[in-house]
Amino acid sequence: MLAVDVAQEVPVPLAARFECRPGELVALTGPSGSGKTTLLRCIAGLMHPRAGRIECGGARWFDAAAGVRLSAQQRRVGLVFQHYALFPHLTARMNVALASGRADPRAHAGELLARLGLAGLAERRPAELSGGQQQRVALARALARDPAVLLLDEPFSAVDQPARHDLYRELAEVHRALALPIVLVTHDLNEARRLADRLVILDRGRTLQQGTPAHVLSQPRNARVAELVGIRNHFEGVFRQTDEPGWGRLEWGPGQRLALRVRDKGRVEDGAAVTWVVAAEHLAVHAAPPEGPNVLPATLEEALPLGDMALCRFAIEGVAAPVQLHQPTAALQRGQLALGTAAYLQFDPAGVHIMPRRDTPQPPPPARGVGPVPPAAA
Amino acid sequence: MDWDAARVSLWLAAATAVSLLPPAVWLARWLATTAARARPVVEAALLLPLLLPPTVIGFYFLTGLGGASPVGEWLARHAGLRLVFTFEGLLVASWIVNLPFMVQPLHRAFAAIPRSVREAAWVSGLSPWRTFWRIELPLAWPGVLAGVALTFAHTLGEFGVVLMVGGNIAGQTRTLSIAIYDRVQAFDNAAAAQMSLALVLLALLALALVFALDRRNALQER
Repeated sequence: MLAVDVAQEVPVPLAARFECRPGELVALTGPSGSGKTTLLRCIAGLMHPRAGRIECGGARWFDAAAGVRLSAQQRRVGLVFQHYALFPHLTARMNVALASGRADPRAHAGELLARLGLAGLAERRPAELSGGQQQRVALARALARDPAVLLLDEPFSAVDQPARHDLYRELAEVHRALALPIVLVTHDLNEARRLADRLVILDRGRTLQQGTPAHVLSQPRNARVAELVGIRNHFEGVFRQTDEPGWGRLEWGPGQRLALRVRDKGRVEDGAAVTWVVAAEHLAVHAAPPEGPNVLPATLEEALPLGDMALCRFAIEGVAAPVQLHQPTAALQRGQLALGTAAYLQFDPAGVHIMPRRDTPQPPPPARGVGPVPPAAA
Repeated sequence: MDWDAARVSLWLAAATAVSLLPPAVWLARWLATTAARARPVVEAALLLPLLLPPTVIGFYFLTGLGGASPVGEWLARHAGLRLVFTFEGLLVASWIVNLPFMVQPLHRAFAAIPRSVREAAWVSGLSPWRTFWRIELPLAWPGVLAGVALTFAHTLGEFGVVLMVGGNIAGQTRTLSIAIYDRVQAFDNAAAAQMSLALVLLALLALALVFALDRRNALQER
């Protein structure tokens, strides 16, 4: 188990806390400058944060309070650098063998390279290998130390799309075969969603939310997370409790005249100002008013064809922010949807997620005293 | 041809190149990796011998390390070492004037090694010492060759400092460049021409060697 709990204000603000169990792949994701790589470097021992603790497999690698600061050499870490950082003057085999602690490093390197499909290329230098092959050598080198944790820093950013898919498979294979905690840094949410067991959303060095990709993407903790995970449809409103147990009312729009029937999980107070989101899969578009609750008339304002799907913007009368969702381009071409025509949007109560309003992202707390992650919203 | 002078020249050039290399590697590596505020000052100081007239360096050397100076006196009394008009003195002066020729190519070579490559070595478990021998030095090898060859060639051609610090003692401090000056003063142009040609060829050989080795390295696409 890898447990990270670090904090500092300078040079890069950090207030991050997460865990990664053996056999688990955690994706650290966030915008550039959110501290993802800094956090990875802290785990690898390439830099030391001002405060906090890092433990792995029962060993204390870093403890600011106790003065424990193991060097990169003393931690058993496998790190795949963003641009691989292979040793350019050495063959693939020697790149891997140098990191091996086994009795016969060259043979061990050969085995690892063969396992990653590079059997015939062991005597080549990095410059004689393709980007994807270099990435495999870097992965083999990271595994050669029999690491206690595998760290991957944007490992797919420098390879082209077809090679990337092969490498996804390779990583999934490694993930399955080795009971290692794996931490993947990526800014690509699709990649994170595809590969990770758990997502950790970072912003300005702070862990904002963590959970399974499905959970984080459908139930962001706050508006900032919603924005970071690319949820387009987020709005402001007021939450009202109702007499009906388990159900509440979400008022929004001009003068809060629009109301949606939503779940009341008992975590938002009556009358609280909220930010709410709805995931696209819980929004339906109809040409005629359908049966059921939460139907609002809307007008198709804009349709931007993006291949098979078109990004459509629907305006709801009096609401400044449009509702955006993808519709099949074919439907537009067949005339089922046309600009300016009336449509009906139906909001599935199960997909409406309500969060307490938070206008600005919170600054990281002081370097000392890393508090627990705040409790989840409704 | 003054064979004694040729021997002194070659011996001085080789001794300078070999003995200056280790401290220059250390200094160049420090310059390439440090974040110290003093770095620009050190860099400027290292380039200074390139801009100063050799006579200025020679003058300071004589006044700073000569027998009458406190350092010179201390060296003579405790180490039995005299630095004026001796081969040892020439060697020390040679270190100073050759610092930029040795350190500059090394500095560039070490600075060209990406930080991530060094860090990858540490994460792979290599100690800083092993990282230096297995990763950094091989990668900086063209810089090492260039520094050694430039220092060697430049020492062969050095005149002003040698004359001021070493004087013109046959078999001890008279180098080829001094001998050429000596022969021209004596209207012995034939000997001067021979020795001049020898110096041109030696310098050319040293530089050609650098480019040849650098080319071979470039072909390996390191």
